Amino acid sequence: MSVEHRWLEKYPELGSNPISTEPYISPDWYEKEREKIFRKVWLCVGRVNELPKAGDYKVKRIEAAGTSVILIRGKDGEVRAFHNVCAHRGNTVVTEHGQETYGKSRAAVITCRFHGWVYGADGALRSVPSEQRFYSCFDKGHNGLTPVHLSLWEGFMFINVAETPETTLGEFLGDYAEHFRGYPFDSLDYGFTYRTELECNWKVAHDAFAEAYHVDTIHAGSFPNVFSTGLQNVKLMGPHRTCAVCLTLDAKPTPVAGIANRMAGASLVSQRGESMLPKTINPDHRSDFAFELSVIFPNTLLHVSEGIWFTHQFWPIAHNRTLWEGRYYVKAPTTNAQRWAIEHAMTLQRNAWLEDTATMEDTQRAMQSRAKTLQHLQDDEILIRHGAVVVDQYVNA
Amino acid sequence: MTEPTLPPAFADLAPFLDWALPTADERQTKRRHASREGLKAFYDALLPRLEAILAEVDKYPLGGLPESHHAIYDMALALAEVAPHVELYGGSPGVPYAFEEGRFIAVHGAQPTWRGLHPMAGI
Repeated sequence: MSVEHRWLEKYPELGSNPISTEPYISPDWYEKEREKIFRKVWLCVGRVNELPKAGDYKVKRIEAAGTSVILIRGKDGEVRAFHNVCAHRGNTVVTEHGQETYGKSRAAVITCRFHGWVYGADGALRSVPSEQRFYSCFDKGHNGLTPVHLSLWEGFMFINVAETPETTLGEFLGDYAEHFRGYPFDSLDYGFTYRTELECNWKVAHDAFAEAYHVDTIHAGSFPNVFSTGLQNVKLMGPHRTCAVCLTLDAKPTPVAGIANRMAGASLVSQRGESMLPKTINPDHRSDFAFELSVIFPNTLLHVSEGIWFTHQFWPIAHNRTLWEGRYYVKAPTTNAQRWAIEHAMTLQRNAWLEDTATMEDTQRAMQSRAKTLQHLQDDEILIRHGAVVVDQYVNA
Repeated sequence: MTEPTLPPAFADLAPFLDWALPTADERQTKRRHASREGLKAFYDALLPRLEAILAEVDKYPLGGLPESHHAIYDMALALAEVAPHVELYGGSPGVPYAFEEGRFIAVHGAQPTWRGLHPMAGI
């Protein structure tokens, strides 16, 4: 086996040719992605513990799937999903404030602001003001909220806007579900969220985060003493993919980072003791293991490490516009000093994300020039190659 | 709003009370608009006192910090915001080679950090 080309040898079916830039810049291709990917597959829309109480709801706008989805917990404890569309004249039932709107209703009902139609958390239309003025063809029993398929995995909520999904969530995730089973997502639930809109294709954003080749250059600022030792344990599972990112730490931490590391092991680049990882992750117990980097097709990157996990999601808005959401989760602090240490870790992570996102709009503009119509990928960029191949398969299916 | 105050043992930090800002957004904005000299002076003044501040605030439960201790905690949090710039970015007030910071939205950014709330609370 050649060390340089080991992933090609493991996955020869992906090939080694350059990858076309057209799917990153073509409006027509993007329309096909909307129809054949985002309106067909399961999409991760959050954690079920974001809605702890009956009547808690969240509305997630998903432009690529052409809708906004209400996720609401009922008095029976169940979370259900519905399109945010009123049966009356098509207004949004919950008035949205941007990409994610949170709310709560003690009575576990939602009321359309326009004319006051009231829906239960089970989707049923409960009350219509001046109902007697509608005609006999109007039946409240047939005018509840339109449901959206919702399924849970390890506390993550996935929706599917297809009328009849082609697979269950379990079938869709396949071996990926097993790979991460048992990681303590629920107890590491102190989650920070950053978001921005990027003037780039969603795959440009995905690709920039889906390799470790950039660590030595892009993160020379925030992680100057951290060097990539490459990917390990690459595993492709249907449309999903995972690998271990290995990094070496060269020097002792800076003064403030040293104090923060003593207060809480919240930073990604601090060293830690016992393992909370499932046996499938870092199976060889490599000492340079930094985090598992994985992609739940199409648009969710999930990373897990000791005591911390984080996600990136890329929500397409147009062929050259993407909502990025980065979320960073640790165990809830119990002291003021721990909370301070988390602030330090989060700040450094935010800065690293500012470094990551810095290239994306430049990449998009440069690709749109069509001066180069191909991109060249090296062996450790296999997650990007796999992503391109899978998108192509879905679009041309 | 009352003027921020410091516990007597930390009275020497009074020249830096302008860094006593309760929210992550305010601290980030202050750092972005600070001068290189301003960042360095704040860092040099706070670093030797950081462990004493953290020990002092830990006399109180998370979320239960008395008003008398808000300012030193806010300043310690500001040091977390400033430290990478002095320690890693050669003193630059901005993150070098980075995306436009003003376009990054922190969902928790307007929370007073000392309250110890869940970062997604109150949105």
